[in-house]
Amino acid sequence: MQSWIPVLVYLAIASSVGVVMLGAARVLRVRARHVPPTRAATYECGEEPAGKAWIRFHPRYYLVALVFVLFDVETVFLAPWALATRALGGYAVVEMVVFVAVLLLGWVYAWRKGALRWQ
Amino acid sequence: MNLLFGLSPFLAVGVGALLLMLAEAFGKPNVAPGVETTDAGAGRAGELALGAAVILVIGAVLSVAVWVAGPESLPELTQVAPHLVIDKFTLFFSFTLCVGGALAALLAGGYLPEHGIDRSEFFPLLLLSTVGAMALSAAGDLLTLFVALETMSLGVYSLIGLRRGSPRAAEAALKYFLLGSFAAAIMLFGLALLYGATGHTDLAGIGAAVRSIGSPGSTVSAGKILISLVLVLVGLAFKVSAVPFHQWTPDAYEGAPTPAATYMAVAVKSAAFAVLLRVLLVGFGDERLASWGAGWPPALAVLAVLSMTVANLVAGRQESVKRMLAYSSIAHAGYALVGVVAAMRSPEAVSAVAFYLLAYTVSTAGAFGALILCGSRGAEAVSYEDLAGVGKRHPAAALAFSLFLFSLAGLPPTAGFFGKLYVFRTAIDSGLYTLAILGLVNSVIGAYYYLRVMVYLYMREPAPGAPRAVTMRSGFVATALVAAAIFVLLLGMAPGFTLDMASGAALTAR
Repeated sequence: MQSWIPVLVYLAIASSVGVVMLGAARVLRVRARHVPPTRAATYECGEEPAGKAWIRFHPRYYLVALVFVLFDVETVFLAPWALATRALGGYAVVEMVVFVAVLLLGWVYAWRKGALRWQ
Repeated sequence: MNLLFGLSPFLAVGVGALLLMLAEAFGKPNVAPGVETTDAGAGRAGELALGAAVILVIGAVLSVAVWVAGPESLPELTQVAPHLVIDKFTLFFSFTLCVGGALAALLAGGYLPEHGIDRSEFFPLLLLSTVGAMALSAAGDLLTLFVALETMSLGVYSLIGLRRGSPRAAEAALKYFLLGSFAAAIMLFGLALLYGATGHTDLAGIGAAVRSIGSPGSTVSAGKILISLVLVLVGLAFKVSAVPFHQWTPDAYEGAPTPAATYMAVAVKSAAFAVLLRVLLVGFGDERLASWGAGWPPALAVLAVLSMTVANLVAGRQESVKRMLAYSSIAHAGYALVGVVAAMRSPEAVSAVAFYLLAYTVSTAGAFGALILCGSRGAEAVSYEDLAGVGKRHPAAALAFSLFLFSLAGLPPTAGFFGKLYVFRTAIDSGLYTLAILGLVNSVIGAYYYLRVMVYLYMREPAPGAPRAVTMRSGFVATALVAAAIFVLLLGMAPGFTLDMASGAALTAR
């Protein structure tokens, strides 16, 4: 159980940061008599919000996200592999080439099926 | 080279799946002039089905080849153990899975174009899912087990929802996906706990750790092992659709395209049984857990009795033949579970279950295939009334349907008869008289609803004025039915050879 104490300390600090920041803002804020309408807007000195956030997104975003995940996963595996290649030797290089080739096939498939066509 | 040879069934299906995927993506759409399509594989279901079936048959042949060469004589195979354990048990199951997958692919070659489901993704997905199922039957490590389980399931989730315009298919896919991921999460929790309790991810190491409980110096907690056993059993009982984890089955089979339902009923179930046997016998094979008094056998016995009884009683009340076949698959999971319980005492029971699942695979795939032949575009045969008079309009389909139903009911001289015989005999040999008798009684109840189909096929005429289901003809479905019929008769009349192969597949418990 000893080894978990740093985790508990980390949890305590992480949660207290949020509480302290919100609490400090509440204590230190300047109370205005009148709140001008611009101050209550979503962005006080930015773009006027148009429409609601609850809208339908085109499935195209979903396809792009999938292709993104393809490369994301590749990177996740490549990083630790790059660190360990020297120790693992030539076999690991061949294995990674196979892995990347299979992922590339997935990308070629997505491309041929028109997942990257933005019209 | 020996390593590649030993892994060749897996490599053949895996590489084949990737090639088929490319073929589908780079093919020229085969559509009527003037029809716009962005889908490169459109209208190519026939070629792709043939390709998928050939790849899976190659996988099945290679499984037999490695079986004959003997995985024991390939010492290089220990390099991939325990992540993939290539033994005769694995090879027998990968043969069964390839046969089931090939039959489903052939059925799809006829079914998808007929019903206007022009989704050529079916075939690569089917192959990739089969790779997962084969890896599942070989998994000797918790990590491979989970990854293989998900590979298998992800393909199936999309296969079910293939009929995109249909709300019923969407419901089926979503139901199976939500319940499936829930069950997978429960099982993953059990696997994590198992690793936490024993410090091993390989099943053999877990088995040794479980055996050390109670000996001086052992730090393995019996409570954690029991909890993880329950969680893993729940997850796998969902995949084999044993009562009370079966509610998704009829809805999913009904909403799915029939070939996808076939694949779920045969391959997913067989792979789940393979991994169930391996986890229980290798991981929880300790005599304190694998005994009639405590551990998994009594729990599985309850699941077996519930599955047989509930499914048989409910199946008799179904009006849809597809739902009836879904309940029949639940009942068959119950019969096979009887064999799994018997496996605690006799290694022979493992071979009996393996043989049973092969027999079940060919009979069920055949029955679904015959059902496909009874309907046609826009009018899928669904209810018993749709089957009325098919015996006259399409005698071959009715004859094949009857053969497969005989086999499912367990009547000689079919594969199903010997499957049931061996499972119940090993149960009696292991002293499980009550289970064996309950199984026999249930087989008699089951015969009622299988024979009811035949009554409609041969003895009923369509009601006057009712629309007659037009039967379809398809070379693909016919090929699948002939192949399945040959298997059913061969396993039923000359089971010796296959049974010898199955008996080599025995896993030993301790």
